[in-house]
Amino acid sequence: MELKAMELVNRYLQAIKFWLPKEQKDNILAEISADLRAQIEDRESALDRSLTQSEIEDILKQRGRPCLVASGFRPQESLIGPVLYPIYLFCLKCAILGYLVPWLLVTLIILIVRPSFPAAQSIPAWFNVLAQISGNLWNMAFVGAGTVTLIFAILERVQAKSHWLENWNPRQLPPVRKANLNRRTNAAFELAIILLATAWWAAYMDRTVIYLGESIRIALNPQWLWFFWSYLVVLLLTATTSILILARPHIVWPPAVLRLFNSICGGILFCSFLRLGMLAGIQAPNMTAQQAIDFTNTVNHWMITCFPLGVIVSVVIIAIDIYRIARAVSRSSSTE
Amino acid sequence: MTQEYFENLRLELRRGSVVLAVLAALRREQYGYTLRKTLSDHGLEIDEGTLYPLLRRLETQGLLDSQWREEDKRKKRFYILSTEGARVLEQLLAEWRSIDLSLEQVLKEQSNGAQSNGTR
Repeated sequence: MELKAMELVNRYLQAIKFWLPKEQKDNILAEISADLRAQIEDRESALDRSLTQSEIEDILKQRGRPCLVASGFRPQESLIGPVLYPIYLFCLKCAILGYLVPWLLVTLIILIVRPSFPAAQSIPAWFNVLAQISGNLWNMAFVGAGTVTLIFAILERVQAKSHWLENWNPRQLPPVRKANLNRRTNAAFELAIILLATAWWAAYMDRTVIYLGESIRIALNPQWLWFFWSYLVVLLLTATTSILILARPHIVWPPAVLRLFNSICGGILFCSFLRLGMLAGIQAPNMTAQQAIDFTNTVNHWMITCFPLGVIVSVVIIAIDIYRIARAVSRSSSTE
Repeated sequence: MTQEYFENLRLELRRGSVVLAVLAALRREQYGYTLRKTLSDHGLEIDEGTLYPLLRRLETQGLLDSQWREEDKRKKRFYILSTEGARVLEQLLAEWRSIDLSLEQVLKEQSNGAQSNGTR
């Protein structure tokens, strides 16, 4: 064997040694070394010459990367094993939805509502709000995900020793869900609510002047009527979706697409309602003309201020609908 | 993709039989390199990354005995089946033959069923 080729072998062995378990390091390395040298000598005696550096290189490459060779001698270790991993992922998603998203919305509202937020809503003001949120968001996400990971890493160790996951009772499993029945019950409940809302909307909101009791008079902008009719159509479409589910609980596509369409229309209407500042004036006992103007301006100001929040909420609702459709597509394609 | 699935299934199928082959081959004392060659000569290729950790695991389980000895001016670690290993090998071979027999019967039944369907 050439000296340079030997050097290559020694380098390879040294790299393996680094990753080997401490207590058996020398013993394992001596064995790998003996095997490697025996293979090289075998080849050399077959070829009746010393192996070249590139031939040695080929042998080493065929044996594999040093850390991979060493990993075979280490006990199989993982932070979270395959048994707990799906539960870990599920909890991580729950933590994001139940902790991060509400935190994000609450923080956004607090930042917008606080007195220091400029009424003019300039782009730098919004940029400032987003910068504050994103700064904290990473901390919160890191702490949230880190806590869940830590809990599961501990559970993994406990489970490996106590095997608590193996002690279970089939009687404690939740009862089988009747998918269609569930959908029908939800649809019936939703239809009842929508019909009540539609009746109220059509009976009391079809005018630009609304009376609360006998003494409070609320005047709305003329655009209100356009908003009124558009929203009535959305309500009726939502009722149609519920009727469709009640009549044909097995069909998936038409209700899902209708729901998405309703969400888009509802989102656009809700955002334009906030953006336009619908309140034209108010009259109430013990309220001076100036107070009425101030009140109207304040309400309109807060509606406009909340416009970006309305956009975020609408986008989230639309995204959930799109996700549901995507899930339905993947389920139907997996069952085909 | 099919080739990839086949490769994974083939590896799974071989995993258990490799243990059996190693234990059987070590009824005669050998060191790692000659053991690998013996298995390879019988059509059972096994790479060093699999063989040496397996030998250590089997030794830890008390199925193999080992000792370092000098041969051809080089120190080598020789392995041989322990008494416990010989007992376990016999049990595993009995299990292997039973699986083989069952599989043969299943395959025979299937092929008979296919033939009778074809003649209908």
